[in-house]
Amino acid sequence: MPRRQEIITRLTGSMRRPTSHICKTCRLSLHQQRLASTATASAAHAAPIEPPPSGATLPSTTPSASLRTTYKVKASILLSRPPLLTRDLTSFEKAYFLYQRRLNERLAMPFSRYFYYQKGTPGDVEWKRKIKERLTPARDIGVYNAYAKEGWNDEVPVGANESEPETQVDALLRDAEVEVLTGEEGQEVKKHKVEKPMPRTTEADLLGDTKSLDRRLQRTLYLVVREGKEGKWWFPNDVLVGKESLHTAAERIIVQAGGMNMNTWVVGNIPLGHYIHNYGATSKTQDKSEELRGEKFFFMKGRIMAGQANLADNKLGLTDFQWLAKDEIQKTLAPRDWNGVKNILSER
Amino acid sequence: MALQCSAPRIPIRVTSKIQISHQQVRHATLLRRPKRPYTFTQLVTLSDGSTFTHRTTSPAPVYKSTKDTRNTALWNPSSQKLLNVEADEAGRLRAFRERFGRGWDAGAMNTRDQETGEVKEGQEESQPQEDNLMDLISGYGFDAEEKGEAKGVREGKERSGKRTGGER
Repeated sequence: MPRRQEIITRLTGSMRRPTSHICKTCRLSLHQQRLASTATASAAHAAPIEPPPSGATLPSTTPSASLRTTYKVKASILLSRPPLLTRDLTSFEKAYFLYQRRLNERLAMPFSRYFYYQKGTPGDVEWKRKIKERLTPARDIGVYNAYAKEGWNDEVPVGANESEPETQVDALLRDAEVEVLTGEEGQEVKKHKVEKPMPRTTEADLLGDTKSLDRRLQRTLYLVVREGKEGKWWFPNDVLVGKESLHTAAERIIVQAGGMNMNTWVVGNIPLGHYIHNYGATSKTQDKSEELRGEKFFFMKGRIMAGQANLADNKLGLTDFQWLAKDEIQKTLAPRDWNGVKNILSER
Repeated sequence: MALQCSAPRIPIRVTSKIQISHQQVRHATLLRRPKRPYTFTQLVTLSDGSTFTHRTTSPAPVYKSTKDTRNTALWNPSSQKLLNVEADEAGRLRAFRERFGRGWDAGAMNTRDQETGEVKEGQEESQPQEDNLMDLISGYGFDAEEKGEAKGVREGKERSGKRTGGER
């Protein structure tokens, strides 16, 4: 009998029996859950669902009797170029890594030359010649021999640049040089240099060319555009057209603003964030019943893989563009706009 | 009965053993240093010129890669440069073509299709798969004939009355 009762209660959805043993807060939450689950069955208990916003306007939460306040709903694209380089190390990190490498020199097994180079081979000869200068098999820790009497003295003196990654790379490249004896009697020594990697700063960095995508390689760059002459800088945006989704609107805005010469990718269907721009005192009244109070921007995330923006025949009335990192955007935008978007932008 | 008698004795013995060996003893043992091989810092240069350093047991100071994600078509779908590259560094494709002609090339096959298209349409419409394969074979014969190398006759069009499985 009790089992059958249980089944009956479960089927009818009545929670009277279990609630008598449950504390007040839990009972409250259970009660709410039951309401949510039976909302479709019993319409009387369900909360009234607000109708979804239609068209390009959103109804305000507190509509007055005479004027209905509305906002323009706009999609905006945060088109970004991801960082191409890893960030520079801090001085502490550099010192730490050099310390760890010198410590490792003392702890690891000694290098077994015979395992890698056979006796009498050119590689073996080369190794012997180079290690006379280096004193240690490692190339990137400066002159430090862990097995000598001064092995304990692994601290770098003040002003030494052994912990700099550039110095370490230079040491590796110097070590990779191959000396070839030329001439009839092997008199001349010809060095085959290894090509140096490109510097971490580019020409556009030196020139301060903010339109180039080859600048600030360690930072994320965002496309900011200027609407009209002497207009303010902002991200490319446009009003949603018809039943357009944010994703398709973002794709459309990219093409309408920057042209076809960009290989881009709009990352998701969900906006990164939104920003409400109120007109304030200059709110416009469209007709007798509606008051346009401001704009709502929904920011979509986009990535640029290749190409460059070209505003030659854009349809959004844009006159200028820049690729800026976060700290530069702060200087470019109006303070109120900056407060609206600063938490969306990537720090690096 | 014997089982019942012996049963209670066992737990008593066990508890007494545990009490004896309760004290922990750690004799001095040699903790060997883990055998870590010697590692170098190596500068890796990828095919597009980007570099990074890593720790490795290889004593070579610089490693230059010739094939990696930066110049593979699969990882660079938008790169036109990579799409049209026919990697034939060893000259094996050239050697193959010298011997067997270009009838096996994908591009050459399409042009031959267009040339002799009207003949095939009437003959065998229901079997496009085999059609292509037969064309490949006849293509080889065609090439070799032009050079005067082929011994056999082309048999692409005058085939025997024997029907293959696909024709039904």
